[in-house]
Amino acid sequence: MAAESDAELIAASLEEPGCFGAVFDRHATVVFRYLVRRVGVDEADALLGEVFRVAFEKRATYDTARANARPWLYGIATNLLARHRRGEARRIRATARLLARQQPADDPADRVVGTLDARELWPHVAEAVAALPEEERDALLLYAWEELSYEEVADALGVPVGTVRSRLNRARVRLRELRPTIGREQ
Amino acid sequence: MSDEFDSLRRLRPDRVHPDDPAEPPVFEREKERLMSTIDASLPGPLGVMRMPDIYPRLAYEDERAALDYLVRVFQLDEIREARIEHGEEWDYTMLAWVRAGEGVVMIGHANAEVHRIHSPKTIGNTTVQMMVYVHDVDAHYAHAVAAGADITMEIEDAFYGERRYEATDLEGHRWHFAERFEDIKARGRTVPDDA
Repeated sequence: MAAESDAELIAASLEEPGCFGAVFDRHATVVFRYLVRRVGVDEADALLGEVFRVAFEKRATYDTARANARPWLYGIATNLLARHRRGEARRIRATARLLARQQPADDPADRVVGTLDARELWPHVAEAVAALPEEERDALLLYAWEELSYEEVADALGVPVGTVRSRLNRARVRLRELRPTIGREQ
Repeated sequence: MSDEFDSLRRLRPDRVHPDDPAEPPVFEREKERLMSTIDASLPGPLGVMRMPDIYPRLAYEDERAALDYLVRVFQLDEIREARIEHGEEWDYTMLAWVRAGEGVVMIGHANAEVHRIHSPKTIGNTTVQMMVYVHDVDAHYAHAVAAGADITMEIEDAFYGERRYEATDLEGHRWHFAERFEDIKARGRTVPDDA
């Protein structure tokens, strides 16, 4: 038997709810890693089950034209993350500090930051991300960290692709603004 | 990929934190909890939605084709969680519930054991008409026509303040679809009273 698409599984789960277990098997790892990236292991641990319980309850509204349920699950996870924004800001600052320490200031591979000192840059990137409006940060991290396409980000967040594009453009501008800021401080 | 987001990509935590566990025990635990949530969500088929205190049951010789027709042509919504199916392909029967707004119609097999109600297709007559209010009856009508509905009364403005049409379904049950003038006005269209 050919493997069923997520959409087929979800449709089948309306009659046989047990089928939904396979949606967990397929996507739990990816969803968990996303949650860990954004809010750390402890909070991800508490959130993972909730993502799939919410998905199960909402499964009748799943658009079965979408074969792959992953963007949908990303969307549900992202909604649940909204209650964990402080944890997220802590998480990204900690990551930035760690990255700054890992990286020698004169790392020649550090093309992104050019001549800037990595110890200065990473905390600034972290602050900039933490300071983004939630909807821009959600779109940005789904795109840059989770490597979703524009269309998938739009699916996940339930907005038109054009909205994703403009959110990413705004985020892009804010990140670009970092360079002169750091330059002045040096 | 290389763009303004490269710095952010390098800040992706799992590229920085080496100690994050790859496969913690959370998966087994949460899978188990999810499955017990799923088991607990299984009420009786009718427990999913409380049905109206009065609603009709229509009989069809081919209730599967009827369900498909009602959903496809008349745009009724099936209450999917409520469906009950019995038997194999050769003795298959089904009970299904379809909804329009707050109203519900049950459909089942004609002349089935116990209930003994018939399809108009068998007896050549019908004794009941389904009265259904829909949003934008003109669009509903156009959709039904395009889907091949058997229109048995053309769309018209009725003197008592509704726009309506009638159609007969694949086994002869009669359906009356209407929209109240007040609802037509509420969506910014004119009705004969305005003239």
